[in-house]
Amino acid sequence: MDSRIEAPTGWLSRRTLLAGSALLLAPAVLAACGVSPSSSTTGAATGAARQGGTLRIARPPASKAETLDPASSLSAYEYLGALYNRLVKLSAKGELVPDLAESWTLSADAMSWTFVLRKGVTWHDGKPFTAQDVIFSIQHILDPATKSPQAGVLSPFVDGNSIKAPDATTVVFALKSPNAEFASLLTGYNCYIIPAGSAATIGASGIGTGPFKLKSFTAAGPGSIVRNPNYFGDKPALDGIEFSSIADTQARVNALLAGQVDLVAQTNLDFATAKTVSASSVATVTSVKNAQWYPVPMLNTSPEFKDPDIRRAFAHAYNPDEVFKLAVQGNGTVAHNNPVPPTEAYYLDYGLGYDPDKSKSLLKAKGFDHFDVPIYTSSYDPVLSPLALALQSSMKAANINLAVTNSPADSYFTDVWMKKPLMTTYWYTGRPIDQLLNQIFRTGSSYNETAYSNATFDQTLDAARATVDAAKRKTLYQDAQKILIDDGGSLTPFFSDRITGLSKQVVNYSEHGFEFDYINIGLRA
Amino acid sequence: MVTFFAKRLGWSVFTVLLATVLVFSAIQSLPGDAATQLLGQNATPSAVATMRQQLGLDEPPVSRFFTWLGKALHGDFGNSLVGGGSVAGEVGSALVNTSLLAGITIVIGILLSLVLGLVAGLTRDRWPDISISTLALVGMSVPEFVVATVLVLLFSIYIPIFPAVVIAGQNASLADLLPSVWLPAGALICVLAAYIIRMMRTSVIDVMDSEFVRTAILKGNSTSRVVFKHLLPSAMLPTLNVIAMNIAWLVGGVVVVESIFNYPGIGTLMIRSVQTRDLPTILLITVMSALTYVVCNLLADFAAFLLNPRLRYPRNSK
Repeated sequence: MDSRIEAPTGWLSRRTLLAGSALLLAPAVLAACGVSPSSSTTGAATGAARQGGTLRIARPPASKAETLDPASSLSAYEYLGALYNRLVKLSAKGELVPDLAESWTLSADAMSWTFVLRKGVTWHDGKPFTAQDVIFSIQHILDPATKSPQAGVLSPFVDGNSIKAPDATTVVFALKSPNAEFASLLTGYNCYIIPAGSAATIGASGIGTGPFKLKSFTAAGPGSIVRNPNYFGDKPALDGIEFSSIADTQARVNALLAGQVDLVAQTNLDFATAKTVSASSVATVTSVKNAQWYPVPMLNTSPEFKDPDIRRAFAHAYNPDEVFKLAVQGNGTVAHNNPVPPTEAYYLDYGLGYDPDKSKSLLKAKGFDHFDVPIYTSSYDPVLSPLALALQSSMKAANINLAVTNSPADSYFTDVWMKKPLMTTYWYTGRPIDQLLNQIFRTGSSYNETAYSNATFDQTLDAARATVDAAKRKTLYQDAQKILIDDGGSLTPFFSDRITGLSKQVVNYSEHGFEFDYINIGLRA
Repeated sequence: MVTFFAKRLGWSVFTVLLATVLVFSAIQSLPGDAATQLLGQNATPSAVATMRQQLGLDEPPVSRFFTWLGKALHGDFGNSLVGGGSVAGEVGSALVNTSLLAGITIVIGILLSLVLGLVAGLTRDRWPDISISTLALVGMSVPEFVVATVLVLLFSIYIPIFPAVVIAGQNASLADLLPSVWLPAGALICVLAAYIIRMMRTSVIDVMDSEFVRTAILKGNSTSRVVFKHLLPSAMLPTLNVIAMNIAWLVGGVVVVESIFNYPGIGTLMIRSVQTRDLPTILLITVMSALTYVVCNLLADFAAFLLNPRLRYPRNSK
């Protein structure tokens, strides 16, 4: 480039102008955003929805490889609950409720589950829904070619041959090992039922039994769904939903503020953005209670954390209330190191609380005057870094020095997760308790991010699975929680609410775990 | 002249090749590959291994590069590792969308900045010059994403004239894009114009000081005749290179702006491809960007050749 482009003008240098323009712009941008310090998070509006109307949802695209196959790890999540149904789903209280199955029974040895299916249900293409479709869907999840994340959860109990259909509306699962919570494993968002024989086509056709039918779908692009007039359940308030894929978070929020979309899905707005949105005249924010679980996995196989006393020292070392306030401004629930969300039916109200003296004496007993370890974090999620910094400041009183280390978001789950001794991460809540404890804490499980291994804990889970008596089973799952917590198996400061941005025109928005209410959501009358 | 251009052409081919090698090695050295990026939190070692095999990522990088190069020379740029579709088609349609944005930016941006630069140069150190130069400096100093955000706030949230984002995304038709193209174009024009205005102003001042312009004025020519007949052709000359560089810059500069507006162009595609390590797509985008740079520079040289007799008839030909 020609050097004369930078010729000095004599009366104003680029540097002074840069500083000046930044100063000038700051108040202008703030004023334009309408940020006011007084606004606070409000709940979603409820009330009468107008019959009909089209809701516009902006969603983050998974990738160009995303698909409507619910079993796939690359499924386009926002479409699934509208297009498909599962056998059973979870209520907001964490209880099993009917979906395509009307009722279910369990044999006395917890080895056999019988589901009685709803009658008269049809697929979007008019064909009748039968037990064969259920068998096919589960086989499709278990098929190694599908690479479904749910396969590892179901495969210890069922294989392709263990599901039988004595008649068109009955499905019997003969389990390989007892599990009185097996039905809860079928509530996962990979377990939506698809038509028999549709493995190759479902990714694009989206034929389900759900309240909406697919009109169009493009991977990482726009799509739309329309009301299914033959839906077996309550009729949805909306005529249809239009989806758009917007990769950039700021662009998604801009679209909401400009009135181009009505809801921003699967996006946890950071605190500053939430303020901007709630101050807007067209949009507001609402929170999905305890939607995200923020654990700080201590890798049990690392030299730092192989000793349970050190892990316990860490669990006592920070002030959960302080960390909770600093990292998520108090939006959520303090967890006291119990990884089970308080909304879960088998939740045990127990945890290791703040006790820096105990923490210091535990470290002292192991010969540490102070304990230094890096904590890894990333921009993958807006809460991870505030969480690491809050822990760092809170743990100082217990003589624990965390060196906050930022790692690229692109490789965070390949290079840091399950590899570094201490890191911040998150999961969506919504896993049933049996799946949560077994998938994330059981010895050898592929998602066991702490490499936690405790034979008593595993045996307690097995005992719980084999117990048909609900009250006794609940006690066993609670015993397992206590073992895990006391053993320093989990460092969980809090569950955080997910802050969602939506238009002021939207009423009856409701979401919990992996359930989105597509029936009642509507536009203001 | 023929040797000059033959030489330049040879270097251009080399430049494009070098760019692909550099980008290929850069992507190789980034942590993670298409398999790990696609799997995310589901990237268990066995899942990664299976997916690498499916995508052909288990071959050594050098042999993969030459396989790609061999096919690319025959016009086959392969299929996307992520979407599976033809890379050429995807990059092509993104390039068409970006061309619309770039075209509007270039036409409006260059006309605007030539006029403003001329006015500033002619009214040196008086108020029109001071205000134009200040604005140009602001345009150069403020990054395009800030300009873009301010434009969205002003023209799609406060005074809702233009859409804030392109809702239709990659499937957008021309009718979808036309209302949406103005804000991103505005943001790009702010940055693009700033450089050209300053260059134009400097060269207008230089030429105004030259003896032949002074002679023309003294001979009693009208101002418009002096400006259009004598001043402009000479003042345009140094500006041409800046324009060429800026047009080429647009291809890269649109990345940030396109992403803010969800504009389905080459920039958005590039970000998505880098995130998913979709090598064939990234490589084709690299080739296209490098080509744009090279062609723009060649054209600028050629234009300079036509405008400048000293280049056309070199005194001591080598």
